[in-house]
Amino acid sequence: MDFLRGVMGSKPAGPQPTGAETIQKLCDRVASSTLLEDRRDAVRALKSLSKKYRLEVGTMSMDHLVRILQTDRSDTEILGYALDTLYNIVCNDEEEEQDDSEEENQQKQEDDLGAQFTDKFIQEPENITLLLTLLEEFDFHVRWPGVKLLTALLKSQCAQVQGIVLVSPMGVSRLMDLLADSREVIRNDGLLLLQQLTKGNAAIQKIVAFENAFERLLDIITEEGSSDGGIVVEDCLLLLLNLLKNNSSNQNFFKEGSYIQKMKPWFEVGDDNSGWSAQKVTNLHLMLQLVRVLVSPVNSPGATASCQKAMFQCGLLQQLCTILMATGVPADILTETINTVSEVIRGSEVNQDYFASVNAPSNPPRPAIVVLLMSMVNERQPFVLRCAVLYCFQCFLYKNQKGQGEIVATLLPSTIDANSISAGQLLCGGLFSADSLSNWCAAVALAHALQDNLTQKEQLLRVQLATSLGKPPVSLLQQCTNILSQGDKLNRRGSRVQTKVGLLMLLCTWISNCPIAVMHFLHNQDNVPFLTGQISENLGEDERLVQGLCALLLGICIYYNDNSLENYTKEKLKQLIEKRIGKENFVEKLAFITKHELYSRAAQKPQPAFSTPEHMLFDHEFTKLVKELEGMITKAVLRSSEEEKKEEEVKKTLEQHDSIVTQYKELIREQDSQINELKKQVTALTSQTENLESTITQQLSQIQQHKDQYNILKLKLGKDTQQAGNQAEAAHVNGLQPEELSQLRERLEEVQRQNQLLQTQLTEKDSLITSLKAEGVPSVEDSTSEVTELRKEVEGLKAQLQSQTAEITQLQNERQELLRGSEPTVAVPAEESVYKEKIAELESRLSAQTTENQKLKGEVKTLLESKESMEKDLASATSTSAILQAEKNKLQQEVQESKKEQDDLLMLLADQDQKILNLKQRLKDLGEPIEDEDELDSRDQFEDDDEEEEEEECDE
Amino acid sequence: MAYAYLFKYIIIGDTGVGKSCLLLQFTDKRFQPVHDLTIGVEFGARMITIDGKQIKLQIWDTAGQESFRSITRSYYRGAAGALLVYDITRRDTFNHLTTWLEDARQHSNSNMVIMLIGNKSDLESRREVKKEEGEAFAREHGLIFMETSAKTASNVEEAFINTAKEIYEKIQEGVFDINNEANGIKIGPQHAATNSTMGGSQGGQQAGGGCC
Repeated sequence: MDFLRGVMGSKPAGPQPTGAETIQKLCDRVASSTLLEDRRDAVRALKSLSKKYRLEVGTMSMDHLVRILQTDRSDTEILGYALDTLYNIVCNDEEEEQDDSEEENQQKQEDDLGAQFTDKFIQEPENITLLLTLLEEFDFHVRWPGVKLLTALLKSQCAQVQGIVLVSPMGVSRLMDLLADSREVIRNDGLLLLQQLTKGNAAIQKIVAFENAFERLLDIITEEGSSDGGIVVEDCLLLLLNLLKNNSSNQNFFKEGSYIQKMKPWFEVGDDNSGWSAQKVTNLHLMLQLVRVLVSPVNSPGATASCQKAMFQCGLLQQLCTILMATGVPADILTETINTVSEVIRGSEVNQDYFASVNAPSNPPRPAIVVLLMSMVNERQPFVLRCAVLYCFQCFLYKNQKGQGEIVATLLPSTIDANSISAGQLLCGGLFSADSLSNWCAAVALAHALQDNLTQKEQLLRVQLATSLGKPPVSLLQQCTNILSQGDKLNRRGSRVQTKVGLLMLLCTWISNCPIAVMHFLHNQDNVPFLTGQISENLGEDERLVQGLCALLLGICIYYNDNSLENYTKEKLKQLIEKRIGKENFVEKLAFITKHELYSRAAQKPQPAFSTPEHMLFDHEFTKLVKELEGMITKAVLRSSEEEKKEEEVKKTLEQHDSIVTQYKELIREQDSQINELKKQVTALTSQTENLESTITQQLSQIQQHKDQYNILKLKLGKDTQQAGNQAEAAHVNGLQPEELSQLRERLEEVQRQNQLLQTQLTEKDSLITSLKAEGVPSVEDSTSEVTELRKEVEGLKAQLQSQTAEITQLQNERQELLRGSEPTVAVPAEESVYKEKIAELESRLSAQTTENQKLKGEVKTLLESKESMEKDLASATSTSAILQAEKNKLQQEVQESKKEQDDLLMLLADQDQKILNLKQRLKDLGEPIEDEDELDSRDQFEDDDEEEEEEECDE
Repeated sequence: MAYAYLFKYIIIGDTGVGKSCLLLQFTDKRFQPVHDLTIGVEFGARMITIDGKQIKLQIWDTAGQESFRSITRSYYRGAAGALLVYDITRRDTFNHLTTWLEDARQHSNSNMVIMLIGNKSDLESRREVKKEEGEAFAREHGLIFMETSAKTASNVEEAFINTAKEIYEKIQEGVFDINNEANGIKIGPQHAATNSTMGGSQGGQQAGGGCC
């Protein structure tokens, strides 16, 4: 603790001993007392002493207080006192009571004290972690001093505390929760804490953004009334600025989160003239800065472009332009609005076009650009406003060839409009006004209309200015150089150097990279002597820059010289420099530009921002031009004429070589392209041939296939015809010769004949069958059922036959089709096709015949079969009839036998009758009654017959 | 642009496995063979469509280096989805998955959807980790798995979209508390307006108020 002793020693009176003693006692009580109340009282006492005896309390009690924070977590009151005490010893802001009577040295020591105590506190990173956990305590008496303590620690040792918070788990998240606290004091102090926490630490900024900071801050801003809100809005805006400035990741998140759209209502301030409080001005200023952060020229072009697009699409740019044209807007807000609009339109074609279309609500309406330029060349306007307008004009023309053309056009004789004030008129007016600031601004503005635009450089050469009556008009270029060389009679306000620098920058921009303009410039005999005079003269300090710029202008005359003016060729100009100025001197003077203290400042960023009007000397775009040209001009001038000649010879030979080489190159290129074309052709042709070959093989295989198919069909056909007993020779139907045709005809006829033959046979057989049937049916009645069965079979066979024939026809049709299909692939002469048709006709006829034939054959076959079966039936029937006949014969024999027997018996009977008669006679004779007996006899006789028949039957 | 939901993602995994390239391929549809080491975290965003609904993905690509681990941990809690990436040509990046997963589970909300990604699938010849191993690891730890190539853009779209689908399903199932933005999910402005009776949340009202 040597440093503390040192601090103590420096105090003249030294602390009151009682104070130190009391503090020591209190510390002991805090450390050793077992009673909470006791400890609490002691800490409270320390708190009350901590402002007056900051050093002592800090030195002696810090460790004890930290221990209280660790151990007495349950008592929010003691925690609050401890945190307050720590805050008092760490914080430097509380020294407000100290009056000016205290020395400044004292104040500085107090600052050191805060830093030293902070160092001591954060030596243990756990202390910060502890503090972060304490912030989770909802009690106001803990949270609020906790927030203040952490803010104070961050203020005094920002980076270190940030580092500790960053690595504490959930550290940043906990602090973000403060923004959701319902107690405004804590939320507002939370804002201040986050401001400190996010200062210059991209990692924390990103985490804070990740924790929905944008959403919450924008909501708070809206709740608090946007720009009309109080200091809380300002704090929110400052925090937003911290989060977005130089943090491309957060900017991207902001844009992607559609928060740009939420900024638009901020600028709906309009013409209500509700008064512009200081707070409102501050708020709006910060809001404008936020917009600028998103579209800053130092951002990556892509990021800026997408933000610019979003700002146009959501109407933010339009809203800003409304402010621009509104009345009653405070000057600094107007200035910042102009700067903001500048950056929102810079390099964005759509936004630039929109800006060009904005009109001021004046009568008659004038373009906003014109109104703004009027302010730029008006010396009564504030300097910053004029700078802002210049910036706006530059941004409008940045990468905007169309805009450049429109501005230059307002000066051209053909398009000039005498009735209204144009941008061009205002610029010319500014260029030749008596105010050096206007001269400078107008010159730079005009230079921006020519930047990287050869067309406009040449167009502007056409501009003629009317001078006093009776004198011929003079060109704008000439007028500029006249003012430079002769000086005008005007009694100028401001610095002459500023005017000269402005004009020289305009001339340099104008004639660089434009040989016609160089020629125009050199055409005036006075210009070169003036320049050499300026450069060679030994002028004062403030004219040095003018010398440098004159050297640059002369250098450009050499570098972009097309040697079309005899007196002022490159060579002659160089000789002039050598004679009149000296090369070394020239280069030295040229270097005055970049050595100027304001040069590097202007080179940093596009916005013209100068602390005082006198510092307004360099334009950003011009510094780029100088950078580009300085080296080249130095080289061009330093080379001696001989060297130059040699070099030029070398150059020429090189050029010749080059030209030869280029010729060859072109030739090669041509040949190359030819080769390529030929290669292409070759590949195309090979592919074509391949294609063709493949089609040929395909077709060949198809043909082969067709042939095979055809052969198969033919074979089938042949078989069929052979089966039918057709003797037709196997003629090549596929052959397309006429004699084959006749052959076919013959065959057809033959087939027909055979067909007829078969039909006759068939009828014969049919009749045979019917006769057989006729024979068979009556003789054999019991065989009819069998016959019907057979018929059914026959019918089945017939059906089969029909299906087969159908198949055959189908096959033939198929073949026909295939033949037809193969026709287009094979190149067939026209006459052959005729034959083919005939053949096809014949073939179809043939096939019809064959099918008929087939059908008939089948019928024949079935009929034959049925005949056979019938015959078989017949045979069996006859055999049965034979058996029956035999039986019949046998029976007849028996009948005959029995007849014979009967006859015998009849004979016997007759004999016996005879005998009976005889006996009767004898009886009669004998006299016996016989009548009854007669009757009896006859009856007996009848009975006998019956008996006989019965006998016969029994025998059988 | 209007969206129905907004999901916050983080991409985690060892250094050099291609996290930034995956993001670049997803947001810009391009591949940058040489990429600077990510410092801390970088942000990217894209709109996708799931189930006919516009969903905005806000993605924080974290640095893989150990020194940034403490910073990147701050992003776990507020994320609804995490892409845990390893390099199929470097076994060690696969071996470190357990550590990453433990870290993520410890610091994130329990519903965070984690998609395991084996990147550089175009470098088949240098493969050190089999696809099956990745699948097995994912199965074991309840993750979704996919092999991607930020170079050829293979499966990159799917990886981001499938993660979103999983989150979307969880929302439908009511697992996520969509009114708590700390979960990395936010209802879109127009959606919140139509669902005001259901949500009635502070966030929804604020979003509605802010958009007009």
